[in-house]
Amino acid sequence: MAINKNSNAYIIIYTVVMVTIVGALLAFLATSLKPMQDANVLNEQKSSIMKAFGEADASFDEVVTMGRLSAGEFAVVADDAAVAEVFAMLGNRKALSEATDNLPIFKMEKDGVTKYVLPIVGKGLWGDIWGYVALQQTEGNVVITGIVMDHAGETPGLGAEIATLKVQQMFEGKALYDAEGAFAVRMQKGGAQNEHQVDAITGGTKTCDGVNAMLETSIGKYESFLRATEAVAEECCCGECCEEGNVELNNEEE
Amino acid sequence: MKLSKNFTNPLAANNPVIVQILGICSALAVTVKLEPALVMGLSVTFVTAFSNLVMSLMRNGVPSRIRIIVQLVVIATLVIVVDQFLRAYMYDVSKQLSVYVGLIITNCIVMGRVEAFALGNKPWDSFVDGVANGLGYAFILVLVAFLRELFGSGTLFGFDVLARFGYVNNSLMLFPPMALIIIGCIIWVHRSINKDLQEK
Repeated sequence: MAINKNSNAYIIIYTVVMVTIVGALLAFLATSLKPMQDANVLNEQKSSIMKAFGEADASFDEVVTMGRLSAGEFAVVADDAAVAEVFAMLGNRKALSEATDNLPIFKMEKDGVTKYVLPIVGKGLWGDIWGYVALQQTEGNVVITGIVMDHAGETPGLGAEIATLKVQQMFEGKALYDAEGAFAVRMQKGGAQNEHQVDAITGGTKTCDGVNAMLETSIGKYESFLRATEAVAEECCCGECCEEGNVELNNEEE
Repeated sequence: MKLSKNFTNPLAANNPVIVQILGICSALAVTVKLEPALVMGLSVTFVTAFSNLVMSLMRNGVPSRIRIIVQLVVIATLVIVVDQFLRAYMYDVSKQLSVYVGLIITNCIVMGRVEAFALGNKPWDSFVDGVANGLGYAFILVLVAFLRELFGSGTLFGFDVLARFGYVNNSLMLFPPMALIIIGCIIWVHRSINKDLQEK
């Protein structure tokens, strides 16, 4: 007896079997490839942070101190669970953009210079944009020493150019705050008008607006910390650094 | 003989993009730069080849009333397999293609070939047909991307080419409508060479 391939029973059984096989196959594939995919993501996060620091060849694990900023204090994150939590947060852009406390922050000291890297997240024209910005405190201001940006789906050749070195290098050396203390770094349509601005991308204005908003909001969350330590940096000139240094050292030992 | 014709036909005389006008949407989206266009072309080739192969193997058991759903499940599964592997082994490329890999599912060429060819032909023929159609698509994508990247950004595969001759980039080339215009021009040239394609 030949099977009637158009009977309802055959169709239902066929569908159930097919979906079960496909579901099992995909579940197996996703589970078995997950560790490699996660490792790729983690690697990328670390290498982006190192690129922002301008030390692409250095090893993240060796030179960077991971921390979180709670109530304006830099608290070192060292144990594995807490480290994993920070990286999970970096991968979750929604959580990152909503966070107001316990903010992730990365510190690197080299040749007597302390730099901080902060994660930045925002919205471009078509989707999320994100990245890391490296900052260094100078007398009375905070200067960008490096920035890496990436995007989910900006227009290639236009907005997507924010992910290129050419655009990112323009930010280097820009001071965050103007003489009045207002946040002044932005991508300016029609070309940079002052020393805080960089040229916007022709044809990518909406994405550039997104970058501006991203920088202002994301860095804004760290402003009190950046400015507070900036004050400390000034005090240092008056000879109080040693005491300050000791306090930090004690914190790290805990 | 038949097999080789199967293979060469979709590359030129019956090209899926410029003759059947299928898969135009992705041709607009990923042809700004050469590299993503090339990877996209290869990914589509993989998916057309294996969806044709799988569907051809299954062709005698598929209930014809739900065959479109079955095709979609097979194609979607293959695309997810490609996506997962790219994420695990070619992370940079997968980031570049972002959502477009997932959109291969909706590429009309894939389902078109399954419906038109794989359901009525033997597995090996179907596989060759899939490869050929994928390559036909990839060829047009690369051609369009070549023109757009060269004249839009002045580069090829990211290397400066035209800048050293004092060429000013024409950013009009980077906008999606330009891809449509270029494809239109390719179709024009193609039809003036292959006169039998012209409608009377």
